[in-house]
This record gives sequence, C-alpha cells and structure tokens, in this order.
Amino acid sequence: MLKRKRFLFAVMAIIPTFAIFGWVRMYPIVETLRLSVFQWNLLSRDKTFVGLSNFIELFGDDQFLDALTNTAIIAFGAMAVTIPVSMALAGVIYHRTRSRFAGFYETAVFIPHVVSLVPAAMAWKWIFDAKLGPLNAVIVALGGEAQAWLFDPVLSVVCIILLVSWQTLGYAVLIYLVGFRNLPKSVYEAAKLDGANGIQSFFFMSVPLLKPITLYVSVVTLISGFNVYAQAYVLASDTQGAPGRLVRVLVLDMLENSFQNFRVGYAAAEAVILLSIVLVLTAVQFGMLRQKGGK
Amino acid sequence: MTFRGRNGTVARATMWSAGLMLAGTLSAQAQDVVIWGGFPELADFYERVAEGMSDEYPDLNVIVEPIGLRDHEKRVALGLSSGLDDATVLELIGSTANRYIVNDLLPPAPDDIADFVNDAGNFEPFFRDTATVDGTVYGVPLFRGQGALFYNTDMLAEAGLDGPPTTMEEYDDYAAKLTQRDADGNPTVSGWSLRLSGGGGGIAEKFWINMHQFGGALLEPVGDKYRAAYANEAGLAALRQYVNAVSGDKTVTIDMPADAAAFQRGQTAMFIRESWVIGDTEKKAPELNYDTALLPRGSIALPVNLYVSGGSDAAQDAAWAFAIEANKPEHLIWLLDNVGWLPNRAGVDYSGVIEAKPQFSAFVDLPEDYDLFTLPSIEPINEILTRFAAVLTEAFADPSLAGDDAAMMALLESAEEETNAILDRAGILAE
Amino acid sequence: MSAKARARRSNFLIDVCLFFICLALLLPLIMLIANGFKTPAEMLVWPPTILPRNPTLENFVTVFTETPLLRWMFNSLAFATLSMIAIVATSALAGYVVAKFPFRSINVIFILFLTTAIIPFEVYMIPLYFQVKALGALNSITGLLIGYLVMSFGIFLIRQNVIASIPDELLEAARIDGAGEFWIFRHIVVPLLRGPLAALAVLAFFQAWTAFAWPIITLTRKTSFTIEVGLANFQSAYTVELSLLSAASAAVMVPSVLAFVLLRRNFVEGIAASGMKE
Repeated sequence: MLKRKRFLFAVMAIIPTFAIFGWVRMYPIVETLRLSVFQWNLLSRDKTFVGLSNFIELFGDDQFLDALTNTAIIAFGAMAVTIPVSMALAGVIYHRTRSRFAGFYETAVFIPHVVSLVPAAMAWKWIFDAKLGPLNAVIVALGGEAQAWLFDPVLSVVCIILLVSWQTLGYAVLIYLVGFRNLPKSVYEAAKLDGANGIQSFFFMSVPLLKPITLYVSVVTLISGFNVYAQAYVLASDTQGAPGRLVRVLVLDMLENSFQNFRVGYAAAEAVILLSIVLVLTAVQFGMLRQKGGK
Repeated sequence: MTFRGRNGTVARATMWSAGLMLAGTLSAQAQDVVIWGGFPELADFYERVAEGMSDEYPDLNVIVEPIGLRDHEKRVALGLSSGLDDATVLELIGSTANRYIVNDLLPPAPDDIADFVNDAGNFEPFFRDTATVDGTVYGVPLFRGQGALFYNTDMLAEAGLDGPPTTMEEYDDYAAKLTQRDADGNPTVSGWSLRLSGGGGGIAEKFWINMHQFGGALLEPVGDKYRAAYANEAGLAALRQYVNAVSGDKTVTIDMPADAAAFQRGQTAMFIRESWVIGDTEKKAPELNYDTALLPRGSIALPVNLYVSGGSDAAQDAAWAFAIEANKPEHLIWLLDNVGWLPNRAGVDYSGVIEAKPQFSAFVDLPEDYDLFTLPSIEPINEILTRFAAVLTEAFADPSLAGDDAAMMALLESAEEETNAILDRAGILAE
Repeated sequence: MSAKARARRSNFLIDVCLFFICLALLLPLIMLIANGFKTPAEMLVWPPTILPRNPTLENFVTVFTETPLLRWMFNSLAFATLSMIAIVATSALAGYVVAKFPFRSINVIFILFLTTAIIPFEVYMIPLYFQVKALGALNSITGLLIGYLVMSFGIFLIRQNVIASIPDELLEAARIDGAGEFWIFRHIVVPLLRGPLAALAVLAFFQAWTAFAWPIITLTRKTSFTIEVGLANFQSAYTVELSLLSAASAAVMVPSVLAFVLLRRNFVEGIAASGMKE
C-alpha cells in the first residue's frame, strides 16, 4: 500500500518531464531518422521514399565531405587546445584558492562562456581582420608578416578553433576546479613529504587522478565542437565589404541544404551522420575510461 | 536592424498610437500587413509607401521588416512552407519565387492586379514575364538589380587614363595601371575589386557577369531544360582574368577590403555593382568623385517583384494594394533618387533624377544591342551557384593556376559535371 | 630565504601570470566595448587603437534609436527566465524521483533520456520546427521555449546531489510523521537542494540567453527577435559599420556579464557541490 502510494507520486512527479522529453526530444529525433530516407523539398506535400540513397550521395558529395573534415578538425582542435590549457589553468587557480583574487580568476575565465556568440564572434572578427585588426598589428610590430587570417584556407579554420576554445575554456576550467577540490588531500601531503614539488605532483598525481574529469570535459568539448555553427556563420558573413572565407561546417551545410537547397531529407541524412559520429565518439571515450578504470 | 529615417520613425510611432487607439474601439478592423524584404536600405521606401496608403486604409498597420538577403531568403522558405499568419508582402527575385509558385505556396494575383501588370503601358514584357508563370500573374514588378562599372574618376585621371575601359582587355590594363602599391609591391589600393570570398552564391553570380562579357553563360537553356556551359572559351577567359588579377598581375588580393565600402573609402579604383551604390555613396561618401560606365557587352538584370501570402482576404487585398501603391510614380522617383535601385515601371519620368545624378545613365540609357541576362527560374539555382562558388573560391586562391590554362579548364570541367548532376537530379538536365 | 618567503614570492609570480592570462581572455571583449565608442573613421586607422581617441556615444545612440534593442533584450530575458524556471522545475522533480524512487520502469526511461543529452540539438531541430509550426507558436516565446523546457544534464545534476546530500533516513522519518510525498519534496528536498538548483538556474539561464541556431529559425518577426538573432541580422545587413555593430554587441553584453558576475558564487558552488566525481 505504502509502496503503491510512493510509486504513484513518483509517476505523477515524473510524467510531465517524461512527456516533454518524449515530445520535444524523442519524437523529433525519430522523425529525423525517418526523414533521412525520404526525398522531400520542404515545399511539396509529398515525400518520396528513397531508401539509403541520401547517404550514398552524401559520401560522394565534396561539399559535405569538406564540411565533415572541417568540423572534425575544429572539434578535435578545440579539444586539443581546451584540455591541457584548462587543466593547467585550473591547477594554478586551485593552487591560489586562498588568494583574494581567486574569485576574479574564476569569473574572468568563465565570462567568455556566457557571452552571446554573435558579439563574441564580432569581437574576434575584428581582431583577425587582415587590414585593420590588432592581431596583425602586433605581428607586424614584432617584425612578423601580416597574415590573411580569415581568408587563408588553413588559418580560417585555426581562427574558428581559437574562437571555440576561447568560449569552452571557462566551462572546462570550472569543471576541473571542482575536480581539484575533490581530490584527496592526504595523497598530496604524502607526496609533499616525499619531496615532490608542485609541478611534479601536478603531472604525476593530478593528471592521472583527474582522468574522469578529463573524460567528461573531452566529451563535452567534442560534442560542442561538432555543433560549431554560429562562429563560422558570423566570421564569413558575406554582405558587401567584409567577407571572409566560409569555413563550411556540418550544421551550416545542413541548414543550407534544408532551407536554401530545399533538400530536407538529405539534410536529415547529414544529421543522422552527425548523430552517429557523436555517439561513436562518446562510446569510445567511455570505453577508454572503463579500460583505464579496470586496470 | 532597420535604419529608419526620422520621418519613418515618427510615422510609425503615429501609426502605432493610432493603431492603439483604434484597437480600443474597433479592434476587429485594424489590419496588419507585414513587408518582408531582403534589402535593408529599402526600409524608408516602404515606410513612405505605407504613409501613402494611410488615407485610403486608415486602419492599416504596415510593419516593414527588411533583413539581409541571405536571412530573408531563409525566412521566406520557412514562412511559406509552413504558412504565414499575417498578410505578408514578399519581396522576391522572380527566379526565386518560381519554386514557391510551382509548389502552390504563392497565390495568383487578383484580377485587377493582374490587369495592372499585364498593361503594356505599365511594364515591358520582360518584367511582366518575370512576374508571370504559365500565363498567370503572381507578382507585381517593382525594381531590378542591374550592374554597371563604377570607377573613381580621380584615380583614373591620376593614372593618365581617359574615360572608362570598354573591353575586357582594357579592364586588365586599367586594373594594372590603377593599382597602387607599397614599397614592397603589395597592392594597397586595388585596381579592380572582384568578389573573391564569402559565403553563398554571390561569387558565382559575379563570375557569371564577367563571363557574360566574354559571350558566355553559366547555364544554357535547351528547350525547357538546362545544362552547364562554362567549361569553354568564355568560362576560361573569365577564370583566367580572375586568377591573373590575384596571382599574376596582383592587382587585387583576397584579403583586401572590397566592394562598395572599399570604393567609398578609396581602397579600390573600380568595381561592378548594382545602382544602389549610387544612393549608398551619396550617404556615406558624398565627396567621392566617381562615374559609371556600361559593361562591354551587357549586364545581369535581376527583377524583384512583390508577392503576397497569408492573412485574411481583406488583409490580402490591402497587401496587394500596397504592391500597387509602391508602383506609383512619386514613390518610384523617390526610390531612384534616394535609394538608387532601378524601378521597373515604364512611362514614369525619371529624367529629373538622372540629370541630377548622371551616374544613373549607365543603368538606364542602354544601347539597342546591350545584352541583359537574368538567372533562370529553376529550383536548384541557389545550390548550383553556391557549389560553383565554392569551387571558384578555391581556384581564386590557388596561385598554381596562374598561366595554366589546362588546369583551369580541368577545374571548370569537373565543376560542370557537378552542376549537371544537380540539374539531372532536379530532372531538368538537357541532353 | 625562508621557505615561507619563497612560497610567497612564487605565489606572487603566479598571481601576476594569472592576472595577465585573465586579461588576455577578457581582452577581445574589452576591445569590443572600446570599439563601440570609436568613430567610424577611427575604426579604419592603422595600426588599430585599443582605446578610443575621441570616445563618442553616437554609436550607442544610433543603435538604441534605430533598432528595438531593448525589445530584443526583453525577449531574451523573458525566454531565458522562463526556460530557467521550466528546467529547474522539471530537473528538480525528475532528479529527485530517479534518485530516491528505485522503480525499474522509471529508471529505464531515465537512462534512455539521459542518452539524448549527447545528441546535438541541431540534429533534430528541423522536425521540431515543424512541430512548433503545427502549434502555431512560431515567432513567440512559447515556440522558443519548446526547445528549452528540459535539460538532461540538469536531471543528472540534481540526481547526483540528492544521492550525495539527502539521506534516506530523513525522508523516512518525515513519512513516519505522516508527511505526504509532495510535502516532503517541497519542504525538505527543495531547501536542501538550494545550492545545486541555483547553479542549474544560472546554467539554464545562460544556455537560453546564448541560444542561436533555434531562435534563428523560429523567429522571423523583428519584434520577436532575441538579441542573438537581432544582432546576427543586424550584422549581416551592416557588416561595414563595425563601430555600430560593436556598440550594439557591447550594449547587450555588459548586462549579461554583470548578471553573471553577481551570480557567480552560486554557480561555482553549485557545480562544485554537484559531485562531479561520478
């Protein structure tokens, strides 16, 4: 009787959430999977079943492959920048927890994460500007050669990686800080007694102990990296006067295929591929964790 | 993001307060008509048109919402495919509107509107046809985007050049002579500004304009089908000119300031653009000494029409009335004079504006054999242009192509295959 | 030199380094704000100036008089606040239930939903658009909200905190005293979860505040834009006027950053309390 009452409460309490989930998550996800095997131009009333031909076409589509490559480079690049930098930064900030500036550090590092994408991208667009931007001004002042940051095929991708890393860094630092705070203090004290200095204990103790956090942060940065869109969109906005090289990324290609080329089924197939990539990467990362944990 | 003039703001505020008062008493009769445009500089124009209607439609609340073209096209696609709640006047290029019409997403114009459009005294057949599909009128022509060469007269004089270039060879010569360089030989002012980067199909469209001067076209109609037609002499000549400008003569670089902004700031000596640059320059660089010239063979002419969708019948009527009001001579003359887009309506006396601003003559005083072309009204036109643009962007930035005709031709051929594949998928590839 | 003095010196050096790193991270935003005060002519000066030479308020005046920037900010604020409320409410309830009510059926569904956390929103955004359209909720805050009602991470966060900080005995004691389940939730669980709920609130708020891809497809009316969409359209139409764009960006950025600075403590402590050890 008591158990039933509790079950009733549990169900009542959770039904709204589950219903919303079903409605705004599950259904559209399933719908995406379904659309990916249809040909549909967004405008007409009928959809034609085409089997896997959207997927087959995708793998011969240079534009899609270009988008896939760029997105992967950006996602892994941003992760490669974010993880070591945020771990080191969090380590140092943690070391100075008792400093009266600790609050300032945390805030300053995190602010880029809460700034809207468009203003942030605008700020960077100016910094990278080949003819007017401060980045080239500094390079030239130091005797280097000005670079066409937003126009060069390689540099334009680097710019996006920098922008994405700058935005995710704060979040990663925060999670690492939490990690540092939860590390067992006794181990460090023992190490200190054994004569280990701060840098040694960082590399030989913190880094391995923080592995689960690193895993979490890498999943989060990879996934958000694969979703990069606004950054590419703003950096190459093409109205007159100030274009840049458009770095084609998956979400951008997807939206262009749906709403400009009117190929919703094709775009859904792209979405399914994005979905599979994210799932596989997450599975791999968790697999790595389990392996490490087992040993 | 509308930069409305003070008049417009006041007018709108008045309209709002009027609307509020009416809402209290006659809420059922207040009507919203939304104007969706892709050219923010036209906001003032539409506000004026709305004011012009206020006597006849006192309850009408016109909401003018222009945004950038790329975003505009996206919202039209979304809005029309899912249905618009308010009566909306849509500003669309004829070729873009076509796909909505064939999918029954834009209603035909009412009879009186169709009569207005069909009246030969109002519009020449070319403009009437772009608003018509299979003999039915769907839109009301308004203005067109047409290109001409803009050149900085001071810079030409300094370089000892007398008058604008008239052949494509001269364009190269002029570009070389007009380019200003720093001590290291890097260009600081480009001789001829070309569209070399950015997103979307604009790059391919601009390429088409240049290619047209060599007698070619990106797409060639065969019956009611099409095929790609740029892997040929004309296409090669156009590509060669671009590649040579960037990597050979180095009269322009990819990262230089470009387009109207650069022209107005004296960072480029010449560029090809539509007539709105005249209105824009008047606002942003009134001191600039410049003139315009016809292109060697002819120009693109992209007619923009007004279409109507959504809302109640009464609101739709008001929206159509708006399209007609927009074509009143007084508004069109204001449009030409203040914004600079070219009105399409015939029989209006624009001579006052053209005399005051001789730069318009290269847009309106066209010789008999001046060859105007337009984008074909086919569903995948955007996709074709965007994909070709991606190929072109890479090519422009590739110095190894300079002087290598065979490599350039190979590149065009492979791009042509891609274009044809898109046409084939849409079922409109000519054999 | 004593060990203490050495430690103090090395800490001082670390502080100096950290200070410069923080400054470097904030520099883009500082420059953006500075650009908002520059005249259009100064934006074209080479080498670029960091601080404006003749600061002007003109850009801000233009932006505020000629765009409904305040309206956009209000829309963003309303959207972010409502999304925050929805996410906090659903996460609190669902997180508590999955943590303390070990019914198999519920847990299976929970795990299923949790996995959707890694599916990018962009993947299923287009079908969702048609759902919102079918409701006639485009161009409204309701439509926007539909994409931002629940957060898998939020449920997870609350679940972890409930497990870590609310002992079963406490709940049992209340039950023995005859308290109803909802009363227990409302008067015992929620107060104990204040920290993590505040953290989640801040996180949810800024997630909605910075949303871009979803608002840009659901909003087409200028009056319904959020600031992200408004600014994106503004910037695509006026790429050339960098000083205006910077002013608009700065105007919307400063309040959100201030809000974050005020709420930071909540946020950091909430995340810290969330037991990320898992």
